[in-house]
Amino acid sequence: MNTAAPDDTLLCAWIDGELPPERRAEVEAWLREHPDDAARVRAWSADARSLRSALDPVLDEAVPTALTQTVWRKAPVVLPDFAWRRWAAALALFVLGGAVGAGAMWRVQGSASTHTVLASSGGWVQRAAVAHSVYVPEVRHPVEVKAQEEHLSRWLTRRLDVPVKLFDLREQGFELVGGRLLPDASGPSAQLMYQAITPPGAASAAAKPERVTVYLRKPDDTTPAGFRFERQGELGLFYWVEGKSANSGPTGYALVGALPREKLLALAEAIYRQEPSRP
Amino acid sequence: MDAPTAFRQQLLGVIPRLRRYARSLVFDPHAADDLVQTALERALAHWHQFDQRRDILVWTISIAHNAYMDDRRRHARSSLVEPSDGFDPDATQPAAGTDIGLQLDLVKALGRLSIEQREALLLVTLEQLSYAECAEVLRIPIGTVMSRVSRARIALRALLDGKGAVPPGTLRRVV
Repeated sequence: MNTAAPDDTLLCAWIDGELPPERRAEVEAWLREHPDDAARVRAWSADARSLRSALDPVLDEAVPTALTQTVWRKAPVVLPDFAWRRWAAALALFVLGGAVGAGAMWRVQGSASTHTVLASSGGWVQRAAVAHSVYVPEVRHPVEVKAQEEHLSRWLTRRLDVPVKLFDLREQGFELVGGRLLPDASGPSAQLMYQAITPPGAASAAAKPERVTVYLRKPDDTTPAGFRFERQGELGLFYWVEGKSANSGPTGYALVGALPREKLLALAEAIYRQEPSRP
Repeated sequence: MDAPTAFRQQLLGVIPRLRRYARSLVFDPHAADDLVQTALERALAHWHQFDQRRDILVWTISIAHNAYMDDRRRHARSSLVEPSDGFDPDATQPAAGTDIGLQLDLVKALGRLSIEQREALLLVTLEQLSYAECAEVLRIPIGTVMSRVSRARIALRALLDGKGAVPPGTLRRVV
């Protein structure tokens, strides 16, 4: 054999089946006569096989519903800024007034231009985003009932008819500020507000604390049960429906915050783990 | 216009392969699925750019690759804020038990390859893409694919042979 020694890229191309027949034959002839190179090539092939056998089990895993739902979701519709303000104003009015007539407002708003959003994620998820935007900037009265008052959970549970647990998110860096009851055309919902724990001494950060809200209610029938994520402007939303348990019907959860997705996800997972129906 | 149903069904079909690819890049299952989700969202947003004569797997893998690179860039910038993300190549030694299927040594060694070598090797050996497809995904010439694949094989073998006593940093800079 007087062919020049194949270099490593050529040997690799041979393993990967990238060579035309005549080059392939040359490499094979070379390997027959050079056991050292043949051994290296065998080792590389073996490495490829173990890579595949290490990672192939992923192919057999059940695909998370969040991913299949992503595929089926309609394109999210971004609300123009003015529409946002209108929604927020409508909610504020509604809450402040508390009047029966205001109930109609939701329906009017809901049937207007925002219809596509409602269809994509269930109206209550949208309302969770609006409620977040309305109350998070509040400096003096962000919540109706403060976290320290022990009846908060009982009160909300009774009014919502779904179990409201005060989730502990301190491990994720957020503490409970408190909660409030929100009126809604199709029944009440609750909002729990959490605020980033500021380390002692970092007083300057307190000017505009990072806040996230958890919105809970009986879900609409159309809301898919899986874990979903949506971004609306700077707000990220994770929402899901916790199924029926022995002592309650299904509960819809929406976690809202202007945080990077991974951070929100960590919070959502902590909530999911602490859900009252979970043993 | 929204993506047609047929396209969505094609996407559903590639999810398992995308998940495997993402897992081989990111290791952490949650972070990997996050990457897949981002890739799916981008694919849906740009469905009209997909040429049906092409292989949807190659197309979505390139999207996942770009999303991964974006993540790395973003995390490189914000690493002071969020040091514990799943995209740090140094943090690729998974906690025992998180990934039963993965062989620790192999994963560790894989995690110590430069990202350029690792991706080329994975695309060719794990995904079994052709060099041409790999070049298309990584947007590099075929010659570069060839040299990255062969260097990756040599580096991986050296690491598995225990000859990889090079500090991870130096090895990652050999492209």
